Amino acid sequence: MDTLEQRRAKTGLPASAAEGERHFFPAEMNGGGLPTSMPAESTDQLKNLMAEAERLESAGLGARSTGDESKAEQCFLAALGLATKAFNPTVISLAPAEEMSGLRLNLRLALRCGEADQARKLIKLALASVPALAFEDEWIQLRESATWPDEWLIGAIRREPPDVAALDALVKRHWPLLFGRCLVLTANHPAAADLAQDAWCRILRSRKRLKPGGNFPAYITTVATNLWRDDMRSISRAGLMARSRMSSLNEALPGDDENSATLMDILPDLDALQQQDRNHLALEIDQAMAQLPPLLRDVLSARFLNGETCLEIGRRHGRTQQTISGWIRSAIIQIRTTLENQGNTLKNMTHEK
Amino acid sequence: MKSEKTFEDLMRWRLAEAATGSPAPPSATCLLELIRPWWEIWPAQFLDAVDRLGQINLNYGHAMETAGQYRGGHPVPVLIVGEEDSLKSSARVLYLDVRDGEFRLRFRLAAAGLKAPQRYEVTFIGADQRPLFSAEATLFMNNEYHLASELPEDLAELWKQLKVTDKLPFRLIIRPVKAAVPSSTCGHMCL
Repeated sequence: MDTLEQRRAKTGLPASAAEGERHFFPAEMNGGGLPTSMPAESTDQLKNLMAEAERLESAGLGARSTGDESKAEQCFLAALGLATKAFNPTVISLAPAEEMSGLRLNLRLALRCGEADQARKLIKLALASVPALAFEDEWIQLRESATWPDEWLIGAIRREPPDVAALDALVKRHWPLLFGRCLVLTANHPAAADLAQDAWCRILRSRKRLKPGGNFPAYITTVATNLWRDDMRSISRAGLMARSRMSSLNEALPGDDENSATLMDILPDLDALQQQDRNHLALEIDQAMAQLPPLLRDVLSARFLNGETCLEIGRRHGRTQQTISGWIRSAIIQIRTTLENQGNTLKNMTHEK
Repeated sequence: MKSEKTFEDLMRWRLAEAATGSPAPPSATCLLELIRPWWEIWPAQFLDAVDRLGQINLNYGHAMETAGQYRGGHPVPVLIVGEEDSLKSSARVLYLDVRDGEFRLRFRLAAAGLKAPQRYEVTFIGADQRPLFSAEATLFMNNEYHLASELPEDLAELWKQLKVTDKLPFRLIIRPVKAAVPSSTCGHMCL
């Protein structure tokens, strides 16, 4: 293994420490905003600093799990400050194993705090110091921001300016499903892409409010759904939506189990379709969905994709559970009828062998 | 033999297919460009708009209203910026609330006769003619729009006590959302 001086030289980062000191961190890498100099301390004191940083990290994780993002952020920033202090070049060195442990802690805290640039520098430093790390799964994941968990990526885009690589990774990760949800609502490909993009813009405008510990896919889906509902309400108020289509909802048949209106007798085995048939079926489903009033598409999405109960959906619309159940049953019957009327495509679908 | 499929299965199958066949996502650079304030992208147009906004006489709003229509507090000068020209107008603020850093506003435009767009980008201009922030307003009914936006901390504190009936410390430049960022700004990367 290389000496620490050799490791330092490989990083290309300035060797600001005095000869013979053993630590990974150059002085300018004080990401916690704390003073870079502190009096020499004993190894025990450094270990205490690290222990305190770990304690604060635990407290931060606890706060994050309960949704107290403000407290979590305070804890992580304070922990990062302490961890960085413990590795200040002017202090007494620790054993190499403890240095690596400290580096991991610093790195983890930098990522939790959204300090993506600082984290990348630490990763670069660690890999240059111990090249073998590059082959370890943990460090392969750390090197690629595309594999970082949502928590770290969200932390990085909350910064000003947001970290572009982190944002790219987060968008790529959640775009497909978001687009799919938007397609169910809009039943139109260009409109779905527009809606998904609008949702991202809305989120980015108030990105400082994002909760790194939250359920991001659910959040962005909710944002897109709310944007779409706003649009639908506006269109409805402007009288652009055919009233006859809306009033027909009041005549929907009630049913005990809305999902019992199955489609098995008109659908092929979805798991065994050839690609061309999959595309045909997808198109026909889109056409059938497009013929539903937007409100029914919203209700179907809420019921079957969000898993909301009819009671919950009913509360949002000021309707009873039975009414919503009736709407759903009616929507399924409409889709079934449309699919049946779409000719022989479904019947002629062949299955993959 | 066909397997039994419920409607939920069909919905989830369609969702998975849509996700698999989704178009390429917009790049981070494109998204960040899209949310860049328009006054940074077109500073000359912004200065021109602010100049025109400053020329609006507060009484103009009163003149546009008939007694029967009167509702809300003082009229707020508004410049409606279209793709080719702009229109001097005013708005009545019907509802205003700042809570937990979030600003909620409902206003009615006095620009009678115009076809009301679904969405406007509303830029709040301070007394010093600087842009405070912008937010998207959605058509509520007739010429009434509502918006909700996170406020910068200093503004949230300042505006916490504001009431609809106060003389409001902002003027508005509003732009139809579709005209907010021309496709040429981001090129082919944007959807």
